Amino acid sequence: MEEGGYIKPDRDDPGTGEATALPGPVLSRAEPRGLAAFFRRRSPVDVLFATLTGAAGVFIIVIVLGILGVLLSESVLSIEKFGPIGFIFSTEWNPVEELFGAATGLFGTAVTTVLALVFAIPVALGIAIFLSEVSPNFLKGPIGVAIELLAAIPSIVFGMWGLFTLAPIMADHVEPALQSVFGDIPVIGQLFAGTPMGIDLFTASVILSIMIVPFAASISRDAFNLTPALVKESAYGLGATKWEVIRDVILPHARLGVFGGIVLSLGRALGETMAVAFVLGNNHQITSSLFDGAASITVTLANEFTEADSDTYLSALFHLALILFVFSLVVLALAKYILLRAQRKERA
Amino acid sequence: MTPESTLEVKNLDFYYAGGVHALKAVSLYARKHSVTALIGPSGCGKTTLLRCFNRMHDLYPGNRYEGEILYGGRNILSRDVDLIDLRSRVGMVFQKPTPFPMSIFDNIAYGLKLKGLRKRSELSERVENALRGAALWDEVKDQLGKSAYRLSGGQQQRLVIARALAVEPEVLLFDEPTSALDPISTAKIEELVVALKRTVTIIIVTHNMQQAARISDTTGFFMLGELIEIGDTDRIFTNPGNKLTEDYITGRFG
Repeated sequence: MEEGGYIKPDRDDPGTGEATALPGPVLSRAEPRGLAAFFRRRSPVDVLFATLTGAAGVFIIVIVLGILGVLLSESVLSIEKFGPIGFIFSTEWNPVEELFGAATGLFGTAVTTVLALVFAIPVALGIAIFLSEVSPNFLKGPIGVAIELLAAIPSIVFGMWGLFTLAPIMADHVEPALQSVFGDIPVIGQLFAGTPMGIDLFTASVILSIMIVPFAASISRDAFNLTPALVKESAYGLGATKWEVIRDVILPHARLGVFGGIVLSLGRALGETMAVAFVLGNNHQITSSLFDGAASITVTLANEFTEADSDTYLSALFHLALILFVFSLVVLALAKYILLRAQRKERA
Repeated sequence: MTPESTLEVKNLDFYYAGGVHALKAVSLYARKHSVTALIGPSGCGKTTLLRCFNRMHDLYPGNRYEGEILYGGRNILSRDVDLIDLRSRVGMVFQKPTPFPMSIFDNIAYGLKLKGLRKRSELSERVENALRGAALWDEVKDQLGKSAYRLSGGQQQRLVIARALAVEPEVLLFDEPTSALDPISTAKIEELVVALKRTVTIIIVTHNMQQAARISDTTGFFMLGELIEIGDTDRIFTNPGNKLTEDYITGRFG
C-alpha cells in the first residue's frame, strides 16, 4: 500500500495479513495470550473440541514425517552405496549387478507428467468454458456428472483399458499417422522415431491425461463460475461478444483458480501408478522417441518390489520413493509459491 | 414519439424465466439530456426496467418482453436489433464497481478496442477524455498502467463510469451506483451525474430518495411492477398526485 493517500486501506488482502490496529478492547499486556490463555478462559467443552481437532491436525504432520522417516531409514544402504546426488543422475538400472540410479525413472515420470498436462489442459479448459459459459442448462447436469464419474473410475481400470483398447489403436492408427506427418521433419521427427508398438511414453501420457482432465476441468469450471455476474454484465454492457467476455474478463479473472487446478492435476499425474503401469513398458532408458518404452518411478516401484531379492535392490527402490516424495514436494511447493506471488501481485 | 424524448416505453410487460410478471403495462418516456430517476421499494421492478433498455435480460434464457421500447424511432425489443450495437450506445453502471482484471488504461480503452480502435495515440486521447469526463484524471494520470483493483471503491466506480463514457454512449443507465459507497464518494458521483446530462441521457435507479430529489429532473415511482406515477421531480416530492407515492416518499413504508 504505497503511493498516494487515496488507496482504500481496508481491502481484504489475505497476503499481508496486517493486523488492524484498533484502539479497542482493553487487553492487558500482562495477561497470558495464545494457547495458554485459550485453555484458561474457555469452557471444558471448547477445550475438548479444540484438543480433538488440534490432534487431528497434528496427526497429518506426524504421518508425513513418519513416511519420510521410513523412506529415509530404508534407503540408507542405497544412499551409502550410490551417493545422494550420484543416484539421481545415474542412468544405471541393473538388478543383476546391483547397480541402480534414478535418472531413468525421473525421466519417465517427468515426460509422462508434462506431456499429460500438455494434452489435458486445453481439453479441460474447453470443458470448463463450455460448462460455465456456453452450455444450455439442460446439458450442464449430464456433463458435470460424466466428469465426476470419470474422476471416480479406479486407475487400474484405466490401465486395463489402456492395455487392451488404447494401445492397439495407438499402435495401428494414431502413431503411424503421427509418424508419417512429423517423421521426416528434422529434430521433431526424432520424437516419433522407431516402431510404433503402442506400449510407450506417448500412450502412457494420453491415458494419464484422460485421468487428470476431470480434476482440471471441474476446478477450472468452479473458478470460471466465481467471476462476478456484474463484471461479466459490464463487459456485455460495453458491447462485448461472448467470446470477448470469456477471453478478456473470465479467463483473466479465473487465472489463479485455473492454475490451482493444474497444480492439483500435476500432483496427481506425478504419483499416478496403475493407469500407466501396463502401457509404459518398464524399460529403464532415456530415449528421444515418444514411441519408446520407459519407466516412471511409481511404475518401477509397483513392478519391482516383489522382485527385489537383495538388500541393495530393495533399498534402491526405497531411495526412488524418497526421491519422488521430495520431487513432488518441491514441485508443489514451487507451484504454491508462484500462486501466492501471483495473488499478491494481482493486488498491486 | 414525444418531442425531445430519447427513450419511450410503451405498454411494456416483462416476465422472468420463472414466470414472475415483473413489469406490468409500464409506459413512460425519458427526455433527452435529462436525468430520470426510478424509485420504489425493493422488488418493484425499477431495476428490471433499467435492464430492459440495454437488453441485459437477454443474457439469461427464458426471459420475455411484451410491448415496445422506442429508441431513435426503432423498437429495441424487436428480434433483429443488434445487441452489441445497442449496448455500445446505451451504457450501464452497476451497484458495485466492476473493474476488469486489467490496468486502469486498458479498462477505459476496453470498449474502444472492442469497436476496433487500435491506434495508440487516439486511444490515449480518448482514455484521457473519458477519465476527465468522469473527474478521475487528476487522481490516476500517473498510474494508468497499474491494476484497476488498486483504486478505492469510489474511484473504481468513477473508473467504470469513465469506461462507459469512453465509447460515447447516448444513454447511460445507473443501477444504484452509490449503494456501495461512502458519503463523500457518493457526492462526487452525484455531481458527475448532473454534469454528464449535458451530453448523455441518464436513467438512474436509486433507493435513496434524497438522491433522486437532488439530481433528477423527472422521477418515476414504481410499486409491484407498476408505474404508479411519473412527473417532474420537484412536483413528485412536494405535491405527489398519488397516495402511494406520498406514503413512500414520506417514509410511511418502503
